[in-house]
Amino acid sequence: MRSDSLTRFLKSLGAAAKAIFILNNRGLAGLMLLSIPIAMALFPQLIAPYNPWETTGAPFEPPSWKHLLGTNDMGQDIFSELVYGARISLLVGFTAAAATVVLGTVIGLIAGYVGGIIDEILLTITDTMMLIPVLPFMILLASMLGQGYQNIVLVITIFSWPSVARLVRAQTLSLKQNIYIEAARAVGASGTWIMFRHILPQLLPLLIAFIVLRAGGAMIAEASLSFLGLGDPTQKSWGTMIYWARQSGAISSGAWWWITAPGLMITMSVLGFAQVGYAMEEYVNPRLRTR
Amino acid sequence: MPGITRYVVRKVVSRIIVFFIIVSVTFIIPRLMPGGAFAYLIENPNIAPELREALIKEFGLDKPLWVQYVTFLKEFFLKGNIGISFYYLKPVSEVIAQALPWTVTLVTTSVVLSALFGIILGALAAYRRGSKFEATLFNVFMFVRSMPSFWLGLVLLIIFGYYLGVAPLYGAYTYGVTYENLLEFIKDVLWHLWLPMITLVLLGTSVYFVLSRNSIVDVLTEDFVMVARAKGLSDREVLFRHALRPASLPVLTYLALDLGYSIGGALLVEVVFSLPGVGKLMYEAVYMTDYPLLLGIVVYVSALTLTLITIAEVLYALIDPRVKLL
Repeated sequence: MRSDSLTRFLKSLGAAAKAIFILNNRGLAGLMLLSIPIAMALFPQLIAPYNPWETTGAPFEPPSWKHLLGTNDMGQDIFSELVYGARISLLVGFTAAAATVVLGTVIGLIAGYVGGIIDEILLTITDTMMLIPVLPFMILLASMLGQGYQNIVLVITIFSWPSVARLVRAQTLSLKQNIYIEAARAVGASGTWIMFRHILPQLLPLLIAFIVLRAGGAMIAEASLSFLGLGDPTQKSWGTMIYWARQSGAISSGAWWWITAPGLMITMSVLGFAQVGYAMEEYVNPRLRTR
Repeated sequence: MPGITRYVVRKVVSRIIVFFIIVSVTFIIPRLMPGGAFAYLIENPNIAPELREALIKEFGLDKPLWVQYVTFLKEFFLKGNIGISFYYLKPVSEVIAQALPWTVTLVTTSVVLSALFGIILGALAAYRRGSKFEATLFNVFMFVRSMPSFWLGLVLLIIFGYYLGVAPLYGAYTYGVTYENLLEFIKDVLWHLWLPMITLVLLGTSVYFVLSRNSIVDVLTEDFVMVARAKGLSDREVLFRHALRPASLPVLTYLALDLGYSIGGALLVEVVFSLPGVGKLMYEAVYMTDYPLLLGIVVYVSALTLTLITIAEVLYALIDPRVKLL
């Protein structure tokens, strides 16, 4: 019996993957865009020609066959830096997006399900947070917490959850009306049980799409903070690469390859996440397909 | 009270409440940090002991928390005073006041231009749905939308500033030049600002274009558009005289909600082009760990954002006839 339901689950998962990544043009395009950064993040040793922390050439070398994207101010291979930077950039973006969706979901569920004064308070906080200029707040908090990627994830999460919370709250309000929720309450199920066992599973597919949609924005936020020097300067991410390129005078020496490459990787990943996210959203909510 | 006034008053009051919350949060944040209230201030070696004593007295840092809070609010709302910058050793509000005009100019001009271009291009794209023109615009703007703002600035700077030499590499005016008249100064500033402006307008247009296109596609399916067509109006008249106004409402709503992000983008672009605005100040404050300045920037940028949001909402009320009925 168990293995039977497992096969069914895997089958439906396969069907979903097919609908999102093969039958949907946007999903397919997104998958292709993401394949390069993901391959870099998974197998940097296989792709990078050098160790990005080792001096393998003269400083400020322009692109050549030996160094595809030239070398930086310390004589490290920029292409290898780019390959090794993928892991942190994608991981920070994805982790921050996941944390944002989890936090937003919990707050939205509570606000929507419990209602009353708690809903009022949470809604006021949410609305206030949606009106503030997020970047200066992120910078303030990041500089107070100190450098490090866990702090960047934390900062992004703290200032990004409100829009998720609003959406989840609205969904919860409408799901709450269902008769089976009333039935569950009648047999004595607690609020927590209903929220997490009856309402949450209904939202799950949408939330997964949301994580993917958010990942791009989180990557840009990470890059922005790193560009201002708030990332971890001892690690390599695409944002920190741009930070160091600018600090070392890549602009005034015309080293366009050094600036362009990491930003192009960020743009590709953000675009890829957005396309896959839209495709997932369309699969979950077929009404969106009309456009 | 007529509908519009009531709507505007309600919006303004709620924005003031939000601002009050923000100011209170900037009071709380430094007091939550390890080391307690203004450890940064006390430990900062740049500050002379006498000045430290004076600051502690002025902000009542030796008094109970609620007295500190009342003093903080009084100092800020009555005098605009929000602390002394560690680095500049001047009141934060003074330092920001010098930078703010640059940021305000950059943000307002770029938002207005982006919304204008976004709506017009979106209208044309919606009007020529399914054409190659639409597909090209859509793809280009989707790509631009995925870029980090500062990176687009850097790329344009290296192309136009370094390789083509048609834009300066940094600054908002030429340093050490005395201008003969105002016109000379304006010319110099325009020469320095055109590239950052294009960066911001490109980024902004990419956001509003998609929104406006979808919104106009929706409006074009409405009955009144069919009636206008049946009346014998040309397609262009239908689009620009009837469809554009209702279609720009969702764009305006989004614009208001998105201003926080637009301003964030503008701050980063200021850093890229070394413009003497709040963004560059913020960058320096991070570099120098000048917390009073950072806190002040958060408060003043919030005030700017909320003001612009309120203006957008008032515009919305003026365009949307339904607000009168509220």
